[in-house]
Amino acid sequence: MLVKLSDISIRNKLVLMQMFTSVLVLSIVFAVFVITDINSYKERKVKSVKSIAQVVGTNSISTLQFQDEDAAKEILSELHNVAPEIINAAILDKNGNLFASYNRPGSDTFIIPSNKNVGSSTFHDHSLLVNNPIVNENEIIGNVFLNVELNELQQIKKSKYEITAVLLIVALGFSFLIGAAVQPYISKRLLRLLKTMNEVTESGDYSKKISDDGKDEISVLIKVYNNLMLQVRKNQQKKDEFIGIASHEFKTPLTSIKGYLDLLDLMENDEGKKQLVGKAQRNVNKLEVLIKDLLDVSKIQSGQLELNMQRFNIDELIKETIAAFQMLSPTHHLILKNTSGEAFVYADKQRIEQVLINLLSNAIKYSPGEKEVIISYEKNDTDMIIKITDFGIGIAEEERLNIFERFYRTKDISVHISGFGLGLYICRDIIKRHNGKIWVETQGKGSSFYFTLPLKTKEPVLQQKV
Amino acid sequence: MLLKRFLFFVMIAFLSGTASAQNIEAEANLKAVFIYNFTKYVEWDTNNGDFVIGVIGQSSVTSALNIIARNNTVKNKKIVIKVFNKPEDIEYCNILFIPKNSFSLSSILEKTGKGTLTVSEENGYAKKGTAFNFVIVNNKLKFEANLKALYLADLKAGSQLLKLGIIVD
Repeated sequence: MLVKLSDISIRNKLVLMQMFTSVLVLSIVFAVFVITDINSYKERKVKSVKSIAQVVGTNSISTLQFQDEDAAKEILSELHNVAPEIINAAILDKNGNLFASYNRPGSDTFIIPSNKNVGSSTFHDHSLLVNNPIVNENEIIGNVFLNVELNELQQIKKSKYEITAVLLIVALGFSFLIGAAVQPYISKRLLRLLKTMNEVTESGDYSKKISDDGKDEISVLIKVYNNLMLQVRKNQQKKDEFIGIASHEFKTPLTSIKGYLDLLDLMENDEGKKQLVGKAQRNVNKLEVLIKDLLDVSKIQSGQLELNMQRFNIDELIKETIAAFQMLSPTHHLILKNTSGEAFVYADKQRIEQVLINLLSNAIKYSPGEKEVIISYEKNDTDMIIKITDFGIGIAEEERLNIFERFYRTKDISVHISGFGLGLYICRDIIKRHNGKIWVETQGKGSSFYFTLPLKTKEPVLQQKV
Repeated sequence: MLLKRFLFFVMIAFLSGTASAQNIEAEANLKAVFIYNFTKYVEWDTNNGDFVIGVIGQSSVTSALNIIARNNTVKNKKIVIKVFNKPEDIEYCNILFIPKNSFSLSSILEKTGKGTLTVSEENGYAKKGTAFNFVIVNNKLKFEANLKALYLADLKAGSQLLKLGIIVD
């Protein structure tokens, strides 16, 4: 098959089916009509020609009896006026010898066919040959042959075919229109389902329900889809609940472990033991960061993340953060460029610090070796734009949209970085709630993360479930 | 030489003689068939008994008629061939055939009454009062028809027949 049936859209399939069925049915009907019509025409023609032959035969009985060929010829020549469609005519005597014949002016002489079945009629391409017996007193005394032109049949055939073709085309058009008019009842709903599914896939919002009050298979499909989405939502909810409970439950013992470690650190004087305690402290800190992230995500999910808005100088905040980082990772140079010293924004200072820490730690993580990380900011009429640029491995094109998703971690297996993949998700949420934007650009080596914060007081986005 | 020429003439004469003899027989047969076919188109008033065809004097047609009479009927009636030697002997018959060179026509016609179809084979006889008269036209056997004679004989001839005949009166 040239085109696979499954490659044709349901819309077109429906229309095609409709058209194919109607054309098939109509073709059969028309074929039957045309055939019966042509056959009945032929029957009528044979009857009428036979009746002419009968008349000719009866009239020529006496000519045969008295062997008057001239009179017979005269009778035959009368046919010219009576039935101009007769091309040839012949009378044979009872021995099968030609008695008299007639050829329409301008036509070829008649060759008596060898098949002399009395009473037969034979259709040729353009003519009908009738052989009728001449009966006198129950005795066959000769035959009449009439060869009749069938131009009319050709015309009838032609006109029938033309009418059929026209009707078929009209029917094709109508069935297309009907098909096109009916197909939305099926395909439109399917396409709507498809559209919603695509939207859900893109947005991750599984709460969308499709309403459909039908009772057919498509309605069932839509119902099944709705149920499926309900289940997905339930599972997600359970997962979110689990994350929330788990991170809470993790946090309490961790806090006490951390406190005891701090105490131990203070109490211990032995350098060797102090080192071990230090290691334990660093790992507990890492764990604390992870659990804090999880808690934040849980808060974001449940809509409990609150912003403490205040006016502060982001220049100072950036400098503080750089200083803190410089202590932790002396291998990288964090450089603040284009600083004007004063850059006031209206935001939650702690949360913005969290964003900065996240972005900077990412920049360091993804640019292994001694590299620079450049931080700069500038403001336009409404926003402060903060830019953090690293010269690391960069981000592949197809990953750029996904990196802000929950639990997303790079597919690049050459880079093994620990973590849940929650940092950027939290950053995006925080910036969103500040009415800001966050995005990433990649030029050649490394990547640049941008985020904006409004300069003027703006109501933070209301707490909402995402 | 003379003998040779003589023999040649004899041969020609002989051959033409046989040929004409054959022609005469064929003509007689055809005439008999025609006479028989006349019966299919001429209506006689009801008369019972056999269908009688009479012949005056000697004629080669008689034997041909006898053969037909043996194998055919006219309207389911037996055909009987009667030969009359002279006009005085003539009795009622459905058809009376008057061969060439027989008795004078008037004497024969005197004896024929209503219901008898007279058929002759002498040029001009139809004009003289016989109903049908055989003639040769273009080497083919035809017949003349005298409608008056038919009328006088109280006979009706079908148009299919009359259209083939040469109408003389």
